[in-house]
Amino acid sequence: MRLSRRGLLRAGLAGTAATALGGLASGCAVPTGSTGRHMVLWYWDGGLGDTVLEKAKARYDRSVDLQAIKIGGYYRSKLITTMAGRAHIPDIAGLKGEDMASYLPNADQFVDLRTLGADKYRSQYLPWKWDQGIADDGTMVGFPIDCGPVAHFYQRAVFQKAGLPYEPADVSSELNTWEKFFGAGERLKKRIPGTYLLSDVNAVFENVVLQGSKRYVDKDRHFIGDQEHVRTAWDLAVEAKRRGIVSDLVTGTPDQLSAVQDGKLPSQLGASWATNDIKSGVPKTKGRWRVADMPVRPSNNGGSFLSITKACREPERAFAIITWLLDTENQAQGFVDAGLFPSTPASYGLKQLREPDPFFGGQVTMDVFGPAAQKIAVAYNSPFDVALGQPIKDEIKNVGVLGKDPKKAWSDAMSKCRRIAEHLGVSY
Amino acid sequence: MATVPALEKPPAALAETPAEQPKKGFRKYWHLYAAISPFYLLFLAFGLIPVGFSFYVSLHRWDGLGSMEWAGLSQYQYLLSDSDFWSSVGNTILIWALATFPMIFLAMVTAVMLNSAVRFKNVYRLAYFLPNVTSVVAIAIVFGSVFSTNFGLVNALLQAVGLDQVAWLNTPWGIKIAIATLMTWQWTGYNAIIFLAGLQTVPSELYEAARMDGAGPVQTFFRVTLPLMRPVLLFVLVISTVTGLQSFSEPQVLLQNTANESTFSGGPGHAGRTMVLYFFQQTFDNNDFGYGAAVAWGVFLVVILFSIINWRLVRRRGED
Repeated sequence: MRLSRRGLLRAGLAGTAATALGGLASGCAVPTGSTGRHMVLWYWDGGLGDTVLEKAKARYDRSVDLQAIKIGGYYRSKLITTMAGRAHIPDIAGLKGEDMASYLPNADQFVDLRTLGADKYRSQYLPWKWDQGIADDGTMVGFPIDCGPVAHFYQRAVFQKAGLPYEPADVSSELNTWEKFFGAGERLKKRIPGTYLLSDVNAVFENVVLQGSKRYVDKDRHFIGDQEHVRTAWDLAVEAKRRGIVSDLVTGTPDQLSAVQDGKLPSQLGASWATNDIKSGVPKTKGRWRVADMPVRPSNNGGSFLSITKACREPERAFAIITWLLDTENQAQGFVDAGLFPSTPASYGLKQLREPDPFFGGQVTMDVFGPAAQKIAVAYNSPFDVALGQPIKDEIKNVGVLGKDPKKAWSDAMSKCRRIAEHLGVSY
Repeated sequence: MATVPALEKPPAALAETPAEQPKKGFRKYWHLYAAISPFYLLFLAFGLIPVGFSFYVSLHRWDGLGSMEWAGLSQYQYLLSDSDFWSSVGNTILIWALATFPMIFLAMVTAVMLNSAVRFKNVYRLAYFLPNVTSVVAIAIVFGSVFSTNFGLVNALLQAVGLDQVAWLNTPWGIKIAIATLMTWQWTGYNAIIFLAGLQTVPSELYEAARMDGAGPVQTFFRVTLPLMRPVLLFVLVISTVTGLQSFSEPQVLLQNTANESTFSGGPGHAGRTMVLYFFQQTFDNNDFGYGAAVAWGVFLVVILFSIINWRLVRRRGED
């Protein structure tokens, strides 16, 4: 017995040591980034076109082993922890548009793309999109993948039945202010009881804010969420609630989807990528939808970037891959693959993007999205926008869903913002 | 018997040469230490060091990527005055209470029934245990449909008995009840199995004696079974407290919105924002890792506090 126990111990010890050594060894082999041969690219499901990546792998096969890894779950937190851990950092990293403001203050973790000759490509991309990838100190962190011009999706037959304009051109020109848009909502509700123009007040509030060039915190780290541009958006959202044109449904719930399917929610303000959400969420509505301009002016919602991390050993080669992945031709392919709306205006005229879409009754949706993408205001996005925009969005939601008094909601939002601003070191 | 003197000898030797012993002891037993080391090494790497690091982070301002800035105890100071944190504590405790007490009652009933079941015992056990090994995300998606306003099963039942629809996932109480129901459903079977194990340790002579003394089934349960089950009850309570106070996936998935909105906001009025959800929102939505770590320590203290209360309650009753 004793002998075998000792033997067991030895075996266990040897095993432990081997594991520890193995761990050390593998830790040493790939400290940060990768060797020249490997080129690791991180993206998320639907972040890049699959066909494009396949082609890139084949194209660069002789020089590098391009490993495109689809990261599931909460992308940003995984990327941040990996970068903070300083090991196994990808060479090329996708950055989501809504997270961009939080990466830019740490521009020193990325390679400045201008040093690799990015300026040469500038003219091919949407100017406002290009600027979003540049940090305050001028470092260019992100190279534009796609963007998300917002448009007005509606169900033609329901609009027709309610006596509203129903051809895309008419909807665009007749519902071109919020006043007229809300008026249409009232008419819709009167003609077809139980029907609402929009799901919730946040659709109004957030889109009005996105239409403008200011958000919640400015470049000087000053809170501007109490100013005119937010106040206007707030008042419009409250008015939408008062006039009864928003439902009490929560976006994305089964209730909301079935209301959309039944034509009880025949309209929404959505970015170009909402096309896919509608197609997969309510497939039975095929053919009923049309797209028109949203009231006042287009806004942008979403759209991402590719970056090269400091861990990359061969930035020049990585940059060559990026610029190829995101050229006019491949951006068009990305649209076909994953519905990524190109940030290269020259793509809009290509055949793949001008296909009539049977889901939209044969409409060429690019006629709406293309011009919209080129009319978007340049906005400054602060890393503190998320923290200081959330209380306001939460409170307008309380107004919309719980029926909270708008005055009280606004003052609650402002006092919360004041507290958070103080905590984060943002001047109020 | 032969081993007894052999065991007694080493302490005597120890007393004679105390100075030499520690070194010798380690040399003698190093392979034993080595044998138990894997757990401690793993615990060090994935338990102790992260815990220590989270405390270190909580004393700084950090966006998760850039350089850390010393903040002293200011994160904790803000935590104490943060009404959002306290409301999330309140939400968590309410949801926990709404989930745990029905759950313990149901689990006990289930266990007693399982204990007396004659046929298909194992089938029942498996069936009751199954919810616990099902992915919370999958359950939450199903419960999202069950509690949906117009087409949910719950509202269909309410309407069948002539009651009004309730917008479960859109009202503060509805949200809490929906989350609590989900947790109850998930944990009842698990705890029933633990209770069942406890029930089976009660000697059958005691039941026989109780029956001889003329005790009915109810009296037997309260006078014999329950007192003997106290340690098991304590275990179940502590485990439910620790898991219930850290509920995260349930509200997160149940109340998540479109891809574009924060998934950690906890629904209208933040009614479903639990402590851990708030910690996630601060850390990963706001990139405020320092404050997030402070919130995590706040969560830790609340959980400890509740575990102590539970322990005292159950133990004192046991001593009476």
